[in-house]
Amino acid sequence: MGMMRDNPGGGYGSRGGGGGGRPGAPRTGGRRRFLFRRRKYCKFCEDKARWIDYKDLRTLQNYIPERAKILPRRISGTCATHQRQLMQAIKRARNLALIPFTSD
Amino acid sequence: MIRTYETVFITLPTMTDEEERAAVDAFAAVVSDGGGTFTANDRMGRRRLAYPIKKLEDGVYTRFLYDAESGVPKELDRRLRISDKVIRHMTVCMEPDWAVASKEQAVRDAQARAEAEAARAAGLPVDESEAVRGASLLTDQAPAPPVRPRDEDDAEFDDQE
Repeated sequence: MGMMRDNPGGGYGSRGGGGGGRPGAPRTGGRRRFLFRRRKYCKFCEDKARWIDYKDLRTLQNYIPERAKILPRRISGTCATHQRQLMQAIKRARNLALIPFTSD
Repeated sequence: MIRTYETVFITLPTMTDEEERAAVDAFAAVVSDGGGTFTANDRMGRRRLAYPIKKLEDGVYTRFLYDAESGVPKELDRRLRISDKVIRHMTVCMEPDWAVASKEQAVRDAQARAEAEAARAAGLPVDESEAVRGASLLTDQAPAPPVRPRDEDDAEFDDQE
């Protein structure tokens, strides 16, 4: 129940023709969650960044949400190499009290 | 082997300018006497700390960028640790290409500052934004991070907190 499993190719099955789903199938979770999501990409790769500077707070701020945790890769889309460099930079900045370890 | 090191340290905010300069010069002398060559000796300025250190809320940041043998940062680290005027310090050994870029940036910053100084001496109106940006890397607060569109994954991340 719940998600429609007729079309294994993704969330596009219920649009257009094809009968519009089984009659009487519950349409819970009607958000078309896959339609409008943009593809994630690594912003550092786009800039061809070779390193990430721990003093560059403007960049680092983008990767520390309210609780000052490091934003995980699955959300930001950063590639493994740059996530590792980012982690290093954030931890260095924390040691120098440039960004907090935690904020209440 | 000569490598490029960057040392950032935070000194007490309560010191007068003379005291501060004397302290910084003493540390700079450690590098010079050890055969190191400076690329940058920046006073990054007074800045609010992200969390209190030794019950202090503010600190004065200073940055050294220098080429030296490995013994120099070791000795500098020892001195910084002993000094009671320094509340936090960190040395980073820079990767070659990062080092080159940092040095070029440092030279550009120094030039911008010198030009601003000259312009001010000549009594010309100074384009502050350019000079100040180079001089005070840290003092201007970073703008608020852009609002990210919420994903389903975000909720999952929130739950962990």
